[in-house]
Amino acid sequence: MAIIDVKNFRKAFGSKQVHENVSFYVKKGECLGLVGGSGSGKSVILRSLIGLEKADAGSILINDEEITHYSEQAWLELRKKVAYAFQGGALFDSMSVFQNLSYPLIEHTNLTRTEINHKITSQLNDFGLAGTENLYPNELSGGMQKRVGLARAMMLEPEIILYDEPTAGLDPFNTKKIQELILNLKTKGVTSILVTHDMPTALAVCDKFAFLKDKVIKEQGTIEQLKNQSGKSSLIHQFIEGSIL
Amino acid sequence: MIHAATQPFKDWIEEQLNFLGGIVYLIRDCLREGFTKPFYWKLLIEQIYQIGFRSFPLVLVTSGAIGMVMSLQFGFGLEKFGGKPYVPRLVASTIFREIGPMFTSLMLAARVGAGMASEIGSMVVTQQIDAIKALGTSPIKKIVLPRIIACLIILPLLAAMANVIGNIGGWLVGVSELGIDPQFYYRRVLDTANIKDYMAGFGKTFFFALFIAVPSCYFGLSVKNGTQEVGMATRKAVVTSSLLILIGDFFLAKVFWILEKWL
Repeated sequence: MAIIDVKNFRKAFGSKQVHENVSFYVKKGECLGLVGGSGSGKSVILRSLIGLEKADAGSILINDEEITHYSEQAWLELRKKVAYAFQGGALFDSMSVFQNLSYPLIEHTNLTRTEINHKITSQLNDFGLAGTENLYPNELSGGMQKRVGLARAMMLEPEIILYDEPTAGLDPFNTKKIQELILNLKTKGVTSILVTHDMPTALAVCDKFAFLKDKVIKEQGTIEQLKNQSGKSSLIHQFIEGSIL
Repeated sequence: MIHAATQPFKDWIEEQLNFLGGIVYLIRDCLREGFTKPFYWKLLIEQIYQIGFRSFPLVLVTSGAIGMVMSLQFGFGLEKFGGKPYVPRLVASTIFREIGPMFTSLMLAARVGAGMASEIGSMVVTQQIDAIKALGTSPIKKIVLPRIIACLIILPLLAAMANVIGNIGGWLVGVSELGIDPQFYYRRVLDTANIKDYMAGFGKTFFFALFIAVPSCYFGLSVKNGTQEVGMATRKAVVTSSLLILIGDFFLAKVFWILEKWL
């Protein structure tokens, strides 16, 4: 059963049409790699899935519920179940790492102070961030900021997580760390969409791919299906080879 | 040719309509969310501290200096006509009715309005506002409402303090430079400045608080791309707030005069 089902999604900014009839779906526990050239509007799709952008037309179903006509209050509820890992982490710069991680717990749970402390300590250990509780975002490296952002997004144990270029600009060590974290979350049954240009990471963690080009999804399926369909002429293959944008 | 000549005017009209529309939507959102739980008292107290306590030295210096200058100018101006005894009354009622609330508001528009627009604008650029939404919370409740309510609480209090300090400044100069008897000056202020003078100024501060906080939050939230827009938003916030205070002051003064006649 599809957890995320996007049908004929259209979006324009002013006179610039970004998407025309984009359709794809993601089943429970799957990770979809949404790939395409820079400026093809991958992040716009992700943002539309949690209401940070509004679709002009088309349908977006999450757990079989149409979300495009949601009120702001309904979006707030949905966002507790669908997490978004921002490209730069989007940490609150006036808050320490601990405060950033405790934010969703304080807002949406009735956990005691001790339980919150325990949960954050455990999360920091899982994300390889032990000892950073009292640091502020400007004291962290880019990779650490991304990991804190990811850890914060996961605090409420969402059913769905949307990754917006989680490995962009990271060194191989931090890239590997992020890959492991995504794979670990997959084993817990989290459904996800990964927007990335980092094909080794995408190939390592994604179950299937959707290739976005010229405002539409040109190809989609598992990597095997895409290879079988068109072999070396597959857009995904060409994208990996770097021969197209 | 005509099209090219009228285009800047059309752009300006469009910008003003966008501003008005944006302000209406922001106020609607604030009214819709302001009366529903959760209420972020801690954030409100933080803003009261940031806006109020940290603005106090600025208000202290400006209101004191203005009171002193007014006393000096009125004193020298009226001396020729033997009008020095009217200095306390003139200084006090001008401060209560106009100068205290207006200068405090203008100082706050420069200090706090600029701060709000740049802080919120930076949060937009670094996706922190998106993160507030993505984490299932509302930027209106978290960011906008605490600032607006803090301004509504603090500005009247700061204006009240500015009134007192301005009059003390006026008294100091009246006594030291104009040779007015200290007791006489003090009594004249108490005898002649009435509650209507005070309320006319005090009432305006609530409107001025909205003139500062609402456009500043709006311009901050309207930032879309990059740090250059943060600077533009800051400038627009200060200019708009200041203009609204100065122009609004005229109309509010008229309204309060009419109200005084009725009451």
